[in-house]
Amino acid sequence: MRNHDRLSAIGYRLSARRSTAYSWLLILPPLALTAFFSIYPFIVAVDASTHRILLTRPKKQPYIGLDNFREVLRVAEFRDAAVNTAVFAAMTVPAVTLLGLGVALLLNQRLPGFGLLRWIVLLPWAIPLVGAGTMWRLLLHGNTGALNGLLLELGIIDEYITWLSRPTLAMVAVTMAHLWREFPLAAILFLAGRQAIASELYDVARIDGAGAFALFRDITLPLLRPTLLIVLVYETVVSMSVFDLLYVLTGGGPGSATTVLAWYTYATTFKFYNLGQGAALSLLMAAAILVVIVLYTYILPAKEERR
Amino acid sequence: MTARRMLGRVVLYALAVALLIYILGPFLWLLSASFQTDIALFQQPPEWFPDPFLTDNYRYVFTGKVPGEQGIGAVAAFTQEAQRIPRSLANSLIVALAVLAVNLLLATVAAYTFARERFRGREVAFFFILGSRLLPPVAVAIPIYQILRQTALLDTKLGVILVHSSFTLPFSIWVLTLYFRGMPREIEEASLVDGASRLRALFSIAIPLAAPGLAAIAAFSFLFSYNEFLFALLLTQSPGSKTIPVAIAAIAQNPDASYSLIAVGVILAIIAPLILASVFRGYIARGLVTSLER
Amino acid sequence: MARQDVTRFVGSGLGGALTRRDVLRGGAALGLGATAFRGRRAAAQDPIQLDFMSWSYSVETIQDNIAKFQALNPGITVNYTDFPWFDYPDVMAARFLGDNAPDVAYNSDHWLTQWADADWVVPLDDNCPNLMAYAADFAPYAIQGMTYDGKLYGLPYYADLVVFFHNAAMAEQAGFSTAPQTWDEVRDQAQAMKEKGIVEYPVNIPLAKADPWTIEFFYSMVYSEGGHFFDESNEPVFNQAGGPAEKVLQWLHDAINTWKIMNPAALEVVEPDVVKSLVAGQSASTVLAKYNLAAVNTTDGAHKGKFKLALMPGSTHETTGFVRFYTLTRHAVDRGAEALDAACKFLDYNGGKTDGVYVVQKRWAIEKGLGFAVLPLYDDPEVAASIASWGDVALEREQATKARIKEGLTAWWGTWDVFAREQIHNAVSGSTAPAEALKAMADKWTELRGYYGG
Repeated sequence: MRNHDRLSAIGYRLSARRSTAYSWLLILPPLALTAFFSIYPFIVAVDASTHRILLTRPKKQPYIGLDNFREVLRVAEFRDAAVNTAVFAAMTVPAVTLLGLGVALLLNQRLPGFGLLRWIVLLPWAIPLVGAGTMWRLLLHGNTGALNGLLLELGIIDEYITWLSRPTLAMVAVTMAHLWREFPLAAILFLAGRQAIASELYDVARIDGAGAFALFRDITLPLLRPTLLIVLVYETVVSMSVFDLLYVLTGGGPGSATTVLAWYTYATTFKFYNLGQGAALSLLMAAAILVVIVLYTYILPAKEERR
Repeated sequence: MTARRMLGRVVLYALAVALLIYILGPFLWLLSASFQTDIALFQQPPEWFPDPFLTDNYRYVFTGKVPGEQGIGAVAAFTQEAQRIPRSLANSLIVALAVLAVNLLLATVAAYTFARERFRGREVAFFFILGSRLLPPVAVAIPIYQILRQTALLDTKLGVILVHSSFTLPFSIWVLTLYFRGMPREIEEASLVDGASRLRALFSIAIPLAAPGLAAIAAFSFLFSYNEFLFALLLTQSPGSKTIPVAIAAIAQNPDASYSLIAVGVILAIIAPLILASVFRGYIARGLVTSLER
Repeated sequence: MARQDVTRFVGSGLGGALTRRDVLRGGAALGLGATAFRGRRAAAQDPIQLDFMSWSYSVETIQDNIAKFQALNPGITVNYTDFPWFDYPDVMAARFLGDNAPDVAYNSDHWLTQWADADWVVPLDDNCPNLMAYAADFAPYAIQGMTYDGKLYGLPYYADLVVFFHNAAMAEQAGFSTAPQTWDEVRDQAQAMKEKGIVEYPVNIPLAKADPWTIEFFYSMVYSEGGHFFDESNEPVFNQAGGPAEKVLQWLHDAINTWKIMNPAALEVVEPDVVKSLVAGQSASTVLAKYNLAAVNTTDGAHKGKFKLALMPGSTHETTGFVRFYTLTRHAVDRGAEALDAACKFLDYNGGKTDGVYVVQKRWAIEKGLGFAVLPLYDDPEVAASIASWGDVALEREQATKARIKEGLTAWWGTWDVFAREQIHNAVSGSTAPAEALKAMADKWTELRGYYGG
């Protein structure tokens, strides 16, 4: 083995220079694509954000410095969008996390038929978001929604709830659709994390007389912390960027009740035709997401480091 | 089995049934709605089982034959858009398969290089690629639109393939790099000493061992591309390049389309990802786990 | 030329990549026109291809019209695409910007000023002057809606009025034999219907956020009280405290939330939903485009024929008149004389006369009850009989004398409309007070005006 190591080491050094160029060649295509579609566009966005660019008046693009940022940050609509985004995240992230965790623990049971469940749980996550959103729109329509019909038949409500016509309920509606679509991912991650915990730990604890709740609190929860961090970060970023669902479910409405930052940015560019402000908003969003990720990584340090 | 254990079992199964209903309910309703008439969907509460059961909407999508009176039919509830669904499906499949192929090819080679080779700037390049995923799509959407316009790739499948590839490669490279790093080097080293080149070692040894990881990223990149909406919306307009999420969103927003027609559109759109996710579910789960563990 | 400048977007500040401008210039020099670079069929010895786009209303009728046109003009083939009404302005904007515009497209007075200002569409005066003669027959609000900067930008698809109509039988049942004359009477009649158990939510007006109709219904209700939106210098006047606009928003809010006489899902329903609801007897009165009266009165059902037109309730009974029309695009002009000529012929067939008759407009009137921009059609006995079968010719003409187009149609009105609808929602749903919503709308108007230098 050591001979092999030494030979490899020699081999490495001899072909080091050729190897470097060769290696760069091999990683060049993805590198180029990344540069072209992430870095260059980012630079372009920065440039756009400092000009007045109206899509219907493309001839004039005066430089206006930071005016776009000032205008965007000053209006009430931006504040509302930021608040809506925060509210949405505050509603969905705990919901997805808790449901995902609960479902994971359920799926972990070795009972006949649960293998089927483990398969089915993946399905909502696999379909396009606009498909999921449209399904929920058919379920929640104020006059013809099937969920309304079900609740009516079960006697839970007297008349159809107009989910999408009432500001608060619309936010709930989007949360419901988002939850349905996102929880499978959280469930799979938690399940994997749970299954990675050695069963001996549980056996020992049970022999010592620990009940189910104690097992959960003292073994499962602490050892799932790294998974929890990943789920929280990922789901927060996802909820801050939610767009597809809004497109088919509420269009940011009613009014501006479900206008979150991603929708607001899209509307600014493609409905209000103000590309300069849209670019400014995009950069602000990128910054916000970055801040969130950094905050999470410092507030919830994972106990297990990456090996 | 004790009574307590039985109770526990019953509770678990009850929860499982509830979960099943929660997950499958929307799908089943969608299926039911796609076979119903528009007026039937209009009642409060609606019919759960289609009565009458009509395949008219499906037929319209594939053959363009407009169904006859369905009750309240004064407002023409059919749009040509629905007939473009099959073409959009084809577009989506082509694009997603191409993205899958690009990922398998480029990501594998790049990941192997990152995992096995030591070269100047390796770390920088790695984080450069990974870091690109931190930007939210909305931030780069408009500039990418501009770029594709200037390179005449707007409204083409190729343009979408390139954009989707650039978004999926970072994750694929990351997962595969971790995968390769976690594999013991001995077997490859042995073949290297025997005179095989790095690439040969990659193909004949590393890849077969890493097959599960490859299956996972294949599934991920296909699903990502097939489901992607924002860029497809901005970058495709004509029937020759529109992907299925764009077609679905359009028809869902179309006041001139009946709800049953919309249901048909969604059903057709979700068949492919449902099948893929079912077939690859093991690999998907494991792929996620790999990226977690490392 | 605007289209070439359009390529000069962001990226110009960085010295830009090879732009299509260079490529376009070369192509233009060769007389090819930009279409060649998309692999699209150029005008050659084959039949001339025309690209036509519209929103998705009555697609089969449009396709049939196209077939007839092609039969009369064997050298022209029309490629037709339809898009959702909600997305229409966005999709068309994307196509104009992306250099794959159609040759002829539907347009509405909503967006004419915006598209003309951006040079996406062109006037007939300069390009199809032979069609200008038709203007003599147009109703005033039709001409106004199709005119920008003194020039005519299209031929009508249809022009109609936003009207109030109701299920007269249900009103009778509730004890009212005449139509409501004011919005208070609308409320009284609706409350009576509700109390007597005739219908749960009598009033049903579609106010979806993404719907271009929403602003027109709002305008109509404000006009009905003699209100104005903008003065001659395009300054907002709708936001006066206690003015008609504020009253209308308050009325809508109360109708849904306080008196509960209006469909609570009004903010999410669309015109076809309301029509179905009326036919099914789940609603009784509405504010909609007049052709919907034809739809409800000719559909089989328990309430067929029971709906009656009434003058718009309100102190002055005024309403909005609008026009949707076929517009010629800059793209068609750029393609060259042959394509332009084909496009003009297509416009002529659809919006003009064939053998002395406004064939297509008459067809829409008789088959779908669409209003028409060309007043001579009232003299056609077939048309008059058709209208009489579901509507009221005399009342319709009276309402038309009290119809005005939407005020404030400027290059930025289309953008303002999107914002205004949001605010209408906010007021109606109760998120903000009507006065606040109107103030936001006025502020936005001022802001947009600043960008456009209006």
